[in-house]
Amino acid sequence: MKLMIFQAVLLTAVVGFLIMFVRGQHGVRMQAGKRLAFIAFLLLNAVAVVYPEATTWVAHLFGVGRGADLLLYALIVTFVFAVINFYLRLRESEQRVTELARAVAIRDAEVLNRDRGLLPPRPPVAADPPA
Amino acid sequence: MIRSNADVWVVIPVYNEEKVIAGVVEQVLTTFPNVVCVDDGSTDASAQEILGTRAHLVRHPINMGQGAALQTGVSYALARTGGRYFVTFDADGQHRVEDVVGMLELARSGEADVVLGSRFLQNAASVPWIKRVVLRTVVALSPTARRLKLTDAHNGLRVFGRGAAERLRITHNGMAHASEIASVLARSDWRVVEYPVTILYTDYSRAKGQSLINGVNILFDVSMSRRGK
Repeated sequence: MKLMIFQAVLLTAVVGFLIMFVRGQHGVRMQAGKRLAFIAFLLLNAVAVVYPEATTWVAHLFGVGRGADLLLYALIVTFVFAVINFYLRLRESEQRVTELARAVAIRDAEVLNRDRGLLPPRPPVAADPPA
Repeated sequence: MIRSNADVWVVIPVYNEEKVIAGVVEQVLTTFPNVVCVDDGSTDASAQEILGTRAHLVRHPINMGQGAALQTGVSYALARTGGRYFVTFDADGQHRVEDVVGMLELARSGEADVVLGSRFLQNAASVPWIKRVVLRTVVALSPTARRLKLTDAHNGLRVFGRGAAERLRITHNGMAHASEIASVLARSDWRVVEYPVTILYTDYSRAKGQSLINGVNILFDVSMSRRGK
């Protein structure tokens, strides 16, 4: 019974992360939330190092046999979160690189194809000072 | 009636096609004066081959994928004055210029805003059977292809009217752009019509990854393109 509660908590966390990061906007709140969660994570780590039995105590609360098991489960959730986060960032950054490369390619091509006589010559720029 | 086709831009994405590209471009140029080849960071002499023709050349500084190359070519063509129709054409010589002429006639008649080439409207027998099975499966699995009643979602031969071309934003750089285009078309109110075309399965184009493995990739891309969006 207790195991089922834990599984429900874990699965909810996984689904929650999924929805949050696939659908949600990456605003200031999200950024702050991520940072607070990271600080909490570090503090909990410190506690777990100083009081090793504490993890087992928490694990029992959730219905997991050992603290090490609980850590493993938590690690999996964190890992999934990190992978999704990286995937979305990578896609966004790839999109930016594409836009940049496209702008460069088209600008260079206009010069090249004008030199090849395929495009009409540039109209003289009015601001040019007389030579 | 002979048309000058000065209002047509043919976009050809090129990646390592040095053996055939010049011939393909010359053939297209006999009918269509405006051709833009997008060299997607080829490592062979494709760019030099294109420079020997009267086609416009746009070079991606890095390889970004066919979808990205198509979007670059369309953007370049849109920035030129006078373009009313925008054609996407494969570099490996598997498309026929006369099919483009027929598709343009359909577009010019005002009956369609977008014309897509399809291998399956008539002579499906010329398509290798394994490819036929894979492509049919892609269509069956794709809700957008079904909504548009498309018979061939992965044909590189397409004609876009200016309005449709302007609103086209291909964000999938790789091969998933075909399904992305299909889903954009399905959500739009453009009239999309398929036109029967013949694909020339030459030894050259067959050697360039027309394999079952590529079919697996297409299936994967199609299913992924519906997620993470």
